[in-house]
Amino acid sequence: MRQVTTYLLILLGSIHLYSDENYQLGEGVHVASLPFYLGGYFSIDYQHKEDFNRYRIDDLALLGYGNYQKLSYMVELEYKALYVHTDDNHNSTTEWNPTLHIERLYGDYSLNDNLYIRIGKYNSPIGFWNLTPINVLRETTSNPITSSIIFPKFTTGIALNYQSFRSHTMHAELLIQHNADLDDEYNNYQVDRHYGLSIGYEYGDIALKLNTGYFHLNHTIEHNQRYYGLISTQIDKERYQILSEIGTQTDNKGTTTPYALYLQGLYRWSESHISIVRFESYRDKIHNQKEQIAVIGYTYRPYYPIALKAEYQLHSDHQNNQVLLSLSVLF
Amino acid sequence: MKKILYTIGLISCLEASDYIVIAHETVPNFSLQQIRAIYLKKLTLINDQQAIPINLPADSSIRQAFEKKILQMSQRRLKAYWTKQHYLGHRPPLKMASEKSVILFIKKIDGAIGYLEANKFHPTKKIKILYQWSD
Repeated sequence: MRQVTTYLLILLGSIHLYSDENYQLGEGVHVASLPFYLGGYFSIDYQHKEDFNRYRIDDLALLGYGNYQKLSYMVELEYKALYVHTDDNHNSTTEWNPTLHIERLYGDYSLNDNLYIRIGKYNSPIGFWNLTPINVLRETTSNPITSSIIFPKFTTGIALNYQSFRSHTMHAELLIQHNADLDDEYNNYQVDRHYGLSIGYEYGDIALKLNTGYFHLNHTIEHNQRYYGLISTQIDKERYQILSEIGTQTDNKGTTTPYALYLQGLYRWSESHISIVRFESYRDKIHNQKEQIAVIGYTYRPYYPIALKAEYQLHSDHQNNQVLLSLSVLF
Repeated sequence: MKKILYTIGLISCLEASDYIVIAHETVPNFSLQQIRAIYLKKLTLINDQQAIPINLPADSSIRQAFEKKILQMSQRRLKAYWTKQHYLGHRPPLKMASEKSVILFIKKIDGAIGYLEANKFHPTKKIKILYQWSD
């Protein structure tokens, strides 16, 4: 706990020392005249299911990044599930997890106008949801199941990115991991190999992305070689957004996840008020699970980097019906 | 009838504002999509040198016209965009207080790009016009 308090004090002290009158919440601060910007985010949430309540400080993270000529870098250190209090059938438990983990650590180098190389640990560039997965940047407290059962969320290795901007935007990315994760604490799959290909196309407010890849699990013997595919589409207009991802996963013996998909629509009533509806469906043969989920949510943003959210999840397995509330801030 | 139409046309011309996107002479000619990509920091190198887009203050009507026509985004969407970019490690463009500072900066710095009202710009060495539009 002392470590967490020290970390918080350093963070707040840095912002106080270096922020100037131009500081805007959600944009970080420029530290002295160095190629270094400092920011962070946190989220707290509450979950209610039948006979179950959970109160949690879910994320507390520090961001550091900068660039110099063709080089840029990003560091993200995070406490995950720092404080968790649960009440379950009259049993109460409280847990502290004061271990700081490396969420992202990478450097980029631009090879030319269209091509750059990335080395380190980064969010796997798969689909749209996985690129900005933190609470404050999404519109629901929960993540769709699709974002956590098809592919590894993080990759530690090399990525080669090509992009072209003419009348429309096209990009392609090749990612290669042939080593252990830099820090696999928060990765949904513990992998020592991950090869993937991403192809994206954008025209105005419409974006389409195709992903395919292979990864190898390093702590399991059965089903340890997986292949995946994901198709993502997004229409983002001033008032509304429609986002959809559909994926599948197999291993060398057969299909492990025949399908996992979601379709989410959001409507912006004003700058601060947003309504969200999401439908999800998946079948997971490894854990023998099959479910449909409907999510109805509302987000209030008094200022964009601050989000207050409420959502209700209706599951085909009614025991999983739940309410989620959260507060998240990016600074 | 002709007189009425002529008068309406004349009033429209007088009220319309002309804007230009200008750049240092080393910057090649770009499509609208490429100018947009530079201002959203998706395209950061031009002919292997750093692209430096410059913004006017947020309350500037010229900036608002630029964001509407070139970026095709409202201030709300841009705020959301730059908040996400902060998480991804990218910064918004540099900000300058006046059109005069924009011209002086572009004249001196390779790869610099800015926008202003057409009537504030007089053809000069080292600066080229990339794009022009009317409100």
